[in-house]
Amino acid sequence: MGTPKALLLFDGEPLILHIVRTLQPLFGNLVVVASPGQQLPSMPVTLVHDDVAYQGPVGGIYYGLKAAEGEFAFVTSCDSAFLSAPLISHLMAQRADHDVVVPRWEGRFQPLLAVYRRTVLPLLEQQLANGQLRPVYLFDKVRTRPVEEDEIRRFDPDGASFFNMNTPEDYAEALTRWRALHDRDASITCTIELFGVAQLLAQTKEISLALPPDATFAHVFEALARRVPLLAGRVISADRSRLADGYVCNVNGLDFVRSAAAKVNPGDNIAIISADAGG
Amino acid sequence: MHGFWGRLLHVDLTSGRGVYRDLEEPRLRQYLGGIGLGTSLLCEYAPAGVDPLSPANPLILTSAPLVGTRLTTTAKFAVVTKSPLTGFIADSLSSSHFALELKRLGIDALVITGQAPALAYLFVDHGRVDIRNATHLRGSAPDETETRIRAELDSPAAWIASIGTAGENLVRFATISNEGRHAGRGGVGAVMGSKNLKAIAVCGDRATVVAEPEAVETIAGSLRLRSVGSLTDKYRRLGTVANLAVFNHLGALPTRNFQQATFEDAEALSGETLTGSSFSRRHGCASCTIQCERLFKSRTGNGEQRLEYETLFALGPLCGIRDPADVLDAAQLCDRYGLDTISTGGTLAWAIETGERGLLPGAWKLGLRFGNAQGVLSAIRAIAAREGIGELLAEGSRRAATETGGSSPDWAMHVKGLELPGYEPRSLKTMALGLAVSPRGACHNRSGAYEADFSGKVDRLRGDPQRGPLVAASEDFAAVLDSLIICKFLRKCFTDFYAEAAAIVSGVTGWDYTEDELRTAGERIHTVKKLFNIREQWQPADDWLPPRLLTEKLTSGVARGVGLHPEELRGMIQGYYQARGWDEAGFVPERKLEELGIASASESSLHGSSGRA
Repeated sequence: MGTPKALLLFDGEPLILHIVRTLQPLFGNLVVVASPGQQLPSMPVTLVHDDVAYQGPVGGIYYGLKAAEGEFAFVTSCDSAFLSAPLISHLMAQRADHDVVVPRWEGRFQPLLAVYRRTVLPLLEQQLANGQLRPVYLFDKVRTRPVEEDEIRRFDPDGASFFNMNTPEDYAEALTRWRALHDRDASITCTIELFGVAQLLAQTKEISLALPPDATFAHVFEALARRVPLLAGRVISADRSRLADGYVCNVNGLDFVRSAAAKVNPGDNIAIISADAGG
Repeated sequence: MHGFWGRLLHVDLTSGRGVYRDLEEPRLRQYLGGIGLGTSLLCEYAPAGVDPLSPANPLILTSAPLVGTRLTTTAKFAVVTKSPLTGFIADSLSSSHFALELKRLGIDALVITGQAPALAYLFVDHGRVDIRNATHLRGSAPDETETRIRAELDSPAAWIASIGTAGENLVRFATISNEGRHAGRGGVGAVMGSKNLKAIAVCGDRATVVAEPEAVETIAGSLRLRSVGSLTDKYRRLGTVANLAVFNHLGALPTRNFQQATFEDAEALSGETLTGSSFSRRHGCASCTIQCERLFKSRTGNGEQRLEYETLFALGPLCGIRDPADVLDAAQLCDRYGLDTISTGGTLAWAIETGERGLLPGAWKLGLRFGNAQGVLSAIRAIAAREGIGELLAEGSRRAATETGGSSPDWAMHVKGLELPGYEPRSLKTMALGLAVSPRGACHNRSGAYEADFSGKVDRLRGDPQRGPLVAASEDFAAVLDSLIICKFLRKCFTDFYAEAAAIVSGVTGWDYTEDELRTAGERIHTVKKLFNIREQWQPADDWLPPRLLTEKLTSGVARGVGLHPEELRGMIQGYYQARGWDEAGFVPERKLEELGIASASESSLHGSSGRA
């Protein structure tokens, strides 16, 4: 595409930064695996480089896992622009008693949107030595938990997480999709009024959000967390799907909304406040 | 006995003697500590019909089973007496080191009756009772009193609770203060003043012994962790002042004596603004992981002042004051004199409106106008000293309005004589019911009725009889919290409160205490408060709201045009009495007493005097 995928401009910033910002609220430590000598923007991550170039996904997973902290790591590619935080949380939640948790979308395993236990490192090393550069070879050798399509759709109805950009057309489509979801041209807008801790964290009292026409409060939380990442994990849940415990939404000064599935109406004034009115 | 000591100390200031007395286990099991035990003792020690400011009215300080354990937010004590403001029960809480030291005396309650011949302070030192001259402390502020008494006792380990000028002058909404905190509502400081008791100093060495240390530590550790999560973020990051902007947004911020429910200058007074512009430091009670207190930079005193929502609302929007510095000055005066800020603000707001309507020339002359801070500050000084118009206002809004006459009682915003806290009843209908029926008077602490209004599960702008069970459950819950004693700011951190709290009681006391037993204890404690009030001539008309709330609709904010119809309130009250198992007039039937096991000697004085209970 003329430019390394990681540096394609997306939502006004290099794609790799977009991915990092998406994952940051979910994970304490992020590792980015770059090809030898590849230049990347400054990011709050651990940056490692492949020892050998062109070793495919197995190489990326191997070097990433090697540098990762903790027993498990979630692995994704730098062109997954539409990652679903709820899906990632679900995958992580399945990891007990398994070495790999991997989604199967449209009949194919998705090894670059999967969870790996670090104990698979020797097997990956062996694969690299044998030139077996496809991750699926690993799945037969370890305790693999496939996550099937119907299960995926509960968290990511359209499988947007699996959308990759391999051609200029894919890139153009990704930009179009993003605009439809998030741009100001989207069909409804609402105003978020922040009170208390939310206001202190965001350092603003009010934020205007553009949302799809059928937006629910889950869209609001996702969009708000994207706009103010500091809110994720504090006021909005880490997976961005709901408010954190202790917070509640009030709509237009009247109705208190507790369900993330509730629909947002055009022009709604949504106040995010502490659920505890005591004092 | 674990968790408790099984005894109380009764000090008679008239004779100067202190007597220890056993507290039997069944009574502690039934009433726990704190407010529950205090209520039970009040029924026993207060003669029916006693004048609240007479020597015979007992001033009761109670400890609780959890005080001195490793459970967070439990360093608290209760003060229970007959209120000089309402004529009914006054039950207030305060906290921190005085609470811990009171427990270290090896008593569960300190009952004080009688009257010292001259201003005195009581020193209970490792079990010894000493009543000392305090005439040299007359007029001193609580913080000065604490410093001076500690110095003259040469006992750095002593902790002190005291009254300010307001208590000495029997202002009916005077507080008892310790370490900057106050047992604030209902005029407990005036009762202390009526006994010529300037202060109580305590110094002990007994450590609370729990039955199952490991089990208690497991729960305590878990609660400590939960207490620093998102559920308490508001308290830890902003303190309760965070309420002001939210309440204004919801049309629930009482303004200018409840003439409006929004304040045009709310932003200047909001917790967010104060935190950004005037924040000085964060503080908290002993043994607390939440640390909700906020001190803000002030232009007077020692340069900083505690402020929480109720004080901010009462001395701010309720009096039309918009400058945070003025509110902080007013709060500082109230702390210095030992005045309940809610009742002070409520009484001043009444006086301002009455003056503006031409019925109270003295208020007008003093400069009392909505928005005029100097007038408010002058009036606070006058109240504490009972000088000029302060003599009238020191009686509280109900008595002041009755004496002033005309239509002024219509805008005296109290229930049973206790001024309303900062929750607008017309836009918070469950809270309206909670305020109307509370035994303490207009109170936001002895139930959390507003929680239903903020839950999204009820229509907060429209009342219905189904609010009755919600308020009753909330009162019982509060009775348990206030008797164990656990801070209400921890309440949301429990996953299953009654199960976890029963496990705590069992672990601390060694009793096999069940959820059901705890629920029943909550209902019993609340019911005995009501029985005390009935004995003190409570009538159905006392469970009601001020005329303004029932005749005027809100004129601003999202709830503009909303009112509270008397029938709407009556329906809610009936729903409440029904949920409580009381009769239609709100009296407690005999079968309810039997059901709750309220027939012991301690409550025998309750029977027969009302003719209905």
